[in-house]
Amino acid sequence: MPNFDLAAVLTDEFRGWLLDGFLLSIELTAITWLIALPLATFIALCRLSSVRVARGLGFALVEGFRNIPLLVQLLFWYFAVPELLPEALRSWLYEHDAEIVCAVAGLTFYTAAFMAEDIRSGIRAVPVTQLEAARALGFSFLASMRRIVLPQAVRIIVPPLISQTLNLWKNTSIATVIGTAELMYQAQRVETASFRGVETFTVVTLAYLAVSLLITALSVWFQRRFPVRAP
Amino acid sequence: MKPTQALIIAAGMAAVFLSPVAFSDQLADIRKKGELVCGVLGTDEPMSFIDPATRTLVGYDVDLCQVVARKIGVPAKVKQLAVAARIPELQQGRVDILSATLTHTKEREAVVDFSLHTFITGQKVMVRRDSGIAKLAQLAGKKVVTVKGGTQEPNMRKAVPTVDVVTFETAPQAFVALQQRKAIGFVNDEVSLFDAYGKLGAAQKDYVVLPESISVEAIALGLRKNEPALKTLVNDALRELEASGAAEKLFFKWFGPNSRLKYGQRSFKIDSDRI
Repeated sequence: MPNFDLAAVLTDEFRGWLLDGFLLSIELTAITWLIALPLATFIALCRLSSVRVARGLGFALVEGFRNIPLLVQLLFWYFAVPELLPEALRSWLYEHDAEIVCAVAGLTFYTAAFMAEDIRSGIRAVPVTQLEAARALGFSFLASMRRIVLPQAVRIIVPPLISQTLNLWKNTSIATVIGTAELMYQAQRVETASFRGVETFTVVTLAYLAVSLLITALSVWFQRRFPVRAP
Repeated sequence: MKPTQALIIAAGMAAVFLSPVAFSDQLADIRKKGELVCGVLGTDEPMSFIDPATRTLVGYDVDLCQVVARKIGVPAKVKQLAVAARIPELQQGRVDILSATLTHTKEREAVVDFSLHTFITGQKVMVRRDSGIAKLAQLAGKKVVTVKGGTQEPNMRKAVPTVDVVTFETAPQAFVALQQRKAIGFVNDEVSLFDAYGKLGAAQKDYVVLPESISVEAIALGLRKNEPALKTLVNDALRELEASGAAEKLFFKWFGPNSRLKYGQRSFKIDSDRI
């Protein structure tokens, strides 16, 4: 590399752009995570439920969102879904950062589909006799879940959930295609303005890697601190 | 080691290390390879786009590529590039020249060479008529859309500093965003903008192209830096094109009264590379 010069992409102006992008990527991850987790739990419970319609719904959501590339889904959420909304809702959306709202919507359903499967497999890993015993003792289905099954399942579920969080963090970069001004979008702006692609993407790679490694470290810590107990 | 030996070794090493730089000539490489690879956009009618009838890339930029290839004496091959990928692809040698609506700017001179200007166009903004906007200054604080990686975004911000610009991978995507009312304006090169306007058909009454330009763009072919033989040949080919009148014909083929753009006259000549 004859003239590798990191300083060229870290001038005040470019640093400001990259920092804005980094913060928005973090925000996208955080907001999506907070919505995706309850949604994923709901989908997982649907799939485990004894009601056939709920099982069908859970199955459809998981297989639908998990099996379509995220890039396609984001373009769909941005260019197609808003056109199907009622006029008033649509104009409200377009006046309020549609790029961010649509990115969160797309990432949420995609991430929730994967998280739901991790939650479901974690619950299924708790022997079914535990649930049967709780039911036999007179707990309702939900109470058996809450008091007996889920506390055991959480230890199994959390590490793969952290892994999905890692994927979510990386997947935010795809939102650049719908004009969401996250880190990748700002990186492309800096590259265009500075003609320094190698330096720009070096900085961006390090930023993604730093956060990814933090999330990985969290997973390692959790598994040491709360190991899965054999029932 | 005798000084003469050292000198011979040093000269030998210098020859090994410097020769690819000192003697490499892209023009000779292209001749040896037997084809000229031109980077085009393919999403920028009528500069370069996919002809729906033949499913091949055609347009003003594609014809210019063929003019250069004919001059070299090899067949032309066009490769489709994203706006933002143009200069990196040229620098990394994946295309031989750029024929991709590339604006000649001072900043870009640091990384690529430019041929004579092949087209002069302004950059303008198309707005929705119901926005009530008639002047550039009224776009302050409003959202406009355009394509990533070109001069559109920086020029727009220069013209109206407080404008909010959102960019997409291709110009047609940005135009869809305008049509879906996700933004108030769509920024692009004048020809591409008028072409998009022409395609609107009956919906034209809902849109206005603001008369003020945000900039005047000199479009040129992009060449790798320090390739004097190729640059001379390209410019010779362009000068011949102008002198023979073929350049004029090429302009009217894509922009003239029979095209969607209906330019009655050509306001520039291919004779300068100054900006």
